[in-house]
Amino acid sequence: MTAYTVYLEQLHAMLAAWSKEHQVYVPTAVEGGYFDFKPWREGVEIAFDYDLAYNTLKRYFLPPKEDLVVFDLAAKTAEMVFDAPKQLLFGVHPYDIRGINQLDQIMETGAPDQYYLHRRDATVVFGLTPMRVAETAFWSSMGAGEVDRGFDLFWTKTGPSTFLVEVGSMRGEKMLLAAGELTPASAGAREAARKAHLKIMEMGRSNALNFDWKQVPRLLDKCWNSPLWQKKAELCLACGSCNLVCPTCYCFDIREEADELLQKGVRFREWDGCMLTSFALVAGEHNFRAKALERYRHRYMRKGKYIYDRYGELGCIGCGRCVRACTTNIANPREVFNTLWEASQHED
Amino acid sequence: MKPKIAFFDFAGCEGDQLQVANLEEKLLDILSHVEVVSFREVMTGHSDDYDIAFVEGSITRPEDEARIKDIRSKAKYLVALGACATIGGVNCIKNFMSPDVYKERVYGTSGRWYSTYAARPLKKVVKVDAELHGCPIDRSEFARVVKELLLGRQPWIPDYPVCVECKKAGNICRYDLGRICLGTITRAGCGACCVTEGAHCWGCRGVAPKANLDAAREAMNKNGFDHKTVRDLLRFFLGDTYAPL
Ligand code: SF4
Ligand code: SF4
Ligand code: SF4
Ligand code: SF4
Ligand code: SF4
Repeated sequence: MTAYTVYLEQLHAMLAAWSKEHQVYVPTAVEGGYFDFKPWREGVEIAFDYDLAYNTLKRYFLPPKEDLVVFDLAAKTAEMVFDAPKQLLFGVHPYDIRGINQLDQIMETGAPDQYYLHRRDATVVFGLTPMRVAETAFWSSMGAGEVDRGFDLFWTKTGPSTFLVEVGSMRGEKMLLAAGELTPASAGAREAARKAHLKIMEMGRSNALNFDWKQVPRLLDKCWNSPLWQKKAELCLACGSCNLVCPTCYCFDIREEADELLQKGVRFREWDGCMLTSFALVAGEHNFRAKALERYRHRYMRKGKYIYDRYGELGCIGCGRCVRACTTNIANPREVFNTLWEASQHED
Repeated sequence: MKPKIAFFDFAGCEGDQLQVANLEEKLLDILSHVEVVSFREVMTGHSDDYDIAFVEGSITRPEDEARIKDIRSKAKYLVALGACATIGGVNCIKNFMSPDVYKERVYGTSGRWYSTYAARPLKKVVKVDAELHGCPIDRSEFARVVKELLLGRQPWIPDYPVCVECKKAGNICRYDLGRICLGTITRAGCGACCVTEGAHCWGCRGVAPKANLDAAREAMNKNGFDHKTVRDLLRFFLGDTYAPL
């Protein structure tokens, strides 16, 4: 991969240049000691050492609420509406890029989701090697600490004011060089970046899955009747927080609303989640996952098996957002998988 | 023929009718599809000939019962408007005190002349066809539900907790800030506005149909909120749900 050395003092001019054509979002400190992506403007301080973006970045491709079709009841016409603003996500961690890559794959499969793909195409992703690991995260053991595609540039902070920037796409390289020529990275700079990466992978290991993540689907195959599901589900609030904060959850509901004159209207979609009680409610008041246990187990099956069966990777990248979001502390995939693994070791 | 609609109020602050009046231009467009025969907030005059009754406020006196039953008998469709009407709301705080105490607190020495009794939501007295939750109601939800009714559709009211809308709004959870919140058990539909504005959810839209009260209480305790704090918060809006008559 082509790589350049960039100095901190060069960054400001770059951000200003990118902002002309894109809405730039950067990680920054928010209340309570957390971090989140916010629009960059003059004076916004970028938190290069952020541990985890509080909100999932999927909202930039799959917004919480999105208009799909406008219709006219009198004229009996309907038309798709697309809104895909040019945006740049600066500083996305590898596990979150993995999440985006997985969503890309899911949204492209079958009937491609035009709305998602329009937004995705209009979005530039600049990756960033993490410098800290969130307390709830376990991505290093989920095979999500590394990423080789899905970004336009990848940044690693190699010194107090130096970055090694790897090129992931022509679009990215063009943007990087827009403000002027840069020095190609030396072998020493590449080595520094490699060390930074190894260091963070090592830090990530303190909170890990106790076994190879590739075993998760097979483990779940054996655990359909585990008593763990019921025990945990008793504490479930059916609040959907674990679904909605998850970078790889993509479920939505479709509804419509007419205007005040009842002549025109809009069909839109909104985030939905399988932990909500009416998610699997169908005509005739039949609910195929009416019990908390069924919903609770379903989410782990999705994360650890169903997505794997279809796409060859786990539906969980180990970001740890659901762990943080669950008020009753039961939405922790690492803990659940480890507990099931432990129990299965005693069975054989 | 345009459906005739009427507004009524019982024990409440008329804040919900005010929300409707505040729809302004939107309200005029919506009203072009209906005939309003009674709406104290925006017009004088009244008629007993109506199809849809929007009723605000709780039932707090024996004589209220006769009046709401009369309204029910005249209306084809009765919609409860706002927390006092749907869940009893703040009026139910008095249900945890003895009548002598609350009568004296409100009316002083003349308390014994008032026939007030434990507050209750409309559905405890008459059949209610639809409920618009909140204290006050959400204007855009009111507009949407009226449009849905006019189009002959079943009104859509969320049955999941406020947390869903809070996550959509991208708020930092109050619990992550060491604070308390009832969004975990309260029915959504307000867009989690109180959290977005920096406060927490008080439960004004009532308990979500399948809410897990035990788990929520346990979570509040585990997060360091003692029994009394939790109890008082639950009694604020949810008195009737939390300790029904
Ligand atoms: S399941 Fe939880 S830890 Fe895994 S990707 Fe989703 S939010 Fe992150
Ligand atoms: S885990 Fe549930 S909400 Fe998430 S994508 Fe799967 S079915 Fe949808
Ligand atoms: S966040 Fe926790 S309580 Fe809420 S639905 Fe998920 S598992 Fe249940
Ligand atoms: S702040 Fe309240 S409503 Fe929002 S997620 Fe937390 S508990 Fe739910
Ligand atoms: S956040 Fe809670 S208290 Fe506030 S309006 Fe919504 S339901 Fe009512």
